[in-house]
Amino acid sequence: MSWSTPPLLRFAGRRALRGIVTIWFAVTVTFLLLRLLPGNPALAVASPLLPQPQRNALLREYGLNQPMIVQYFKYLWQLLHGNLGVSFAQQVSVTSVIDRELPWTLLLMGSSLLLTLIIGIPLGVAAARHQGSLLDRGVQIMSVASGSLFVPSAGILLLFVFGVWLRWLPIGGAYSLGVYGFAWYVSVAQHLLLPALSLVMVQIGNYVFTLRATLIGALHEDYADLARAKGAPERTVVWKHALRNALLPITTLAGLQLGFLVGGAVLTETIFAYPGIARGIYTAVTQEDYPVLQGAFLLLAVSVVVANFLTDMTYGLLDPRVRTT
Amino acid sequence: MTTAVTPLAEAVPEAGPTSGMRTWRAFRRNPLAIIAMTLMTMFIAVAIFAPLVAAYPTGSSPAILAAPSAAHWFGTDNLGLDIFAEVVWGTRNSLIVGAAASALSVFIGVMVAVTGAYFRRIDSVIGMFVDVCLSLPVLPLMILVAALAGPSLETTVFVIAFFSWPAVSRVVRSQALAVIQLPYIDAARVVGDSNWRVIRKHLIPAVSPVIAVSVVLTASNAVLVAAGLSFLGLGDPSEWSWGQILYNSEQAGALQSAWWTALFPSLAILLLVMSATLISIAYNDARDPHTRND
Repeated sequence: MSWSTPPLLRFAGRRALRGIVTIWFAVTVTFLLLRLLPGNPALAVASPLLPQPQRNALLREYGLNQPMIVQYFKYLWQLLHGNLGVSFAQQVSVTSVIDRELPWTLLLMGSSLLLTLIIGIPLGVAAARHQGSLLDRGVQIMSVASGSLFVPSAGILLLFVFGVWLRWLPIGGAYSLGVYGFAWYVSVAQHLLLPALSLVMVQIGNYVFTLRATLIGALHEDYADLARAKGAPERTVVWKHALRNALLPITTLAGLQLGFLVGGAVLTETIFAYPGIARGIYTAVTQEDYPVLQGAFLLLAVSVVVANFLTDMTYGLLDPRVRTT
Repeated sequence: MTTAVTPLAEAVPEAGPTSGMRTWRAFRRNPLAIIAMTLMTMFIAVAIFAPLVAAYPTGSSPAILAAPSAAHWFGTDNLGLDIFAEVVWGTRNSLIVGAAASALSVFIGVMVAVTGAYFRRIDSVIGMFVDVCLSLPVLPLMILVAALAGPSLETTVFVIAFFSWPAVSRVVRSQALAVIQLPYIDAARVVGDSNWRVIRKHLIPAVSPVIAVSVVLTASNAVLVAAGLSFLGLGDPSEWSWGQILYNSEQAGALQSAWWTALFPSLAILLLVMSATLISIAYNDARDPHTRND
């Protein structure tokens, strides 16, 4: 039977299964952490200082009086129905909180990744083509510095230079109030630029470093020599032949970096008062709003898993060898 | 340099320069490695001798948010405390967190990795578990745990270690898988060494260079993460740390007016993490005969 299934489909199936296991694991870990650690939700929702009957009523309302295993399966059952519970602090459904906040975070992370590639690929190519030159040394040191940069430091630097000194760009929020139509989109882009650039600053080093190393390897491969022997100019050899192969590790890196990018988004959104879900997590922590924390974390895990799945699929399409192994 | 080594080599004819000596020689030739080593030594010295360098910043003073001057090299914060002293005491905190979290997570990571590589039957389960852990967004989880467990130095160390070992495990495991296929491991088994002895005497020493690099990189990453947690207000509020300085400045609304409150702790983080990264890159280059050119 199995030999008749197309390899790419089997590959996709295996990866999808792994994604589901990851999400289940994330859900279970969050559930257990929330209940096993000292400041558990029963304390947050119903303070032990309350009179006992009142406290019991509250615990019953949130289902916190049941045995943990029952709570766990009820929680999973609710999740399967898309019910993430109700926010303790805002008294609205967690889904609506996330609906409001997640798009901003996805916009921020997506545009930072795009900018990283737009700036990083030419830099990596230039460094690899002039290996050992002053430019190459500069690019290498810059990538180490980028990897060593503390996310808030990058954010504060940009905020200071472009927001406070030069006054070119807004220093907080995601859009200007009272503007509509095209002007609204412009204001969104203006508000997006500094937070996105902070994330570019901290992640670009890894991309440039990886691209440079793989390109240098690829430029010494037989196929590059063959293209040169056929009279192709060096520019074509680099951009058409070598870069295509070097993009594979970049795809892997993008997948691996997603978790880190989410962490970066938490810090960036905090600095720029960006109304995304990452900042929502921080607010939820200060308000002890466990349902929102649980839901936000789950959604982030799902986003990372989906993005990972997509990178894996891209990889499978780009490199036929992956599918068969 | 060669003349200094020759008499030694003549005195003991069979012992040429060991690989460790050659690595060290190549490492010393790299100017960036020397700069990074100097910086790292300086940070460690400041951490150890913090009480001699600056008085512990405590209380408050009327010189609020004063710009850097001869009296206050790094300026003062919103309570009028000397930021230089805060950065000095923060160095101690950062290095302790980095070292402790790194030691713990490297220990767990190495144990899991060599167990997986040696006992192949449980390897796929361990591999899957590590992959799953690696694909989770870690910082939100750490925020959650730190918030629940209450901010303290121990919480920070355990949280970081608990979420960092999978990365160590992945790197060490791939190296251990290559070593385990070498004949001398089989030889040790045939001679009748116990599994544990083979792992301890042969497998772990063979992967020790990777472990060394992991220790440095995990520690520098731990410094970044700890600063991130402190910046979010989840660090130990009773101890000075670099993230705490930034957090205080942000809470006081001073970030946008008093650049020195952000610049100096930021520079400290950057220089420490950068020198750790450069040391590990230089060590790898020095160890690799292809890049060493000796």
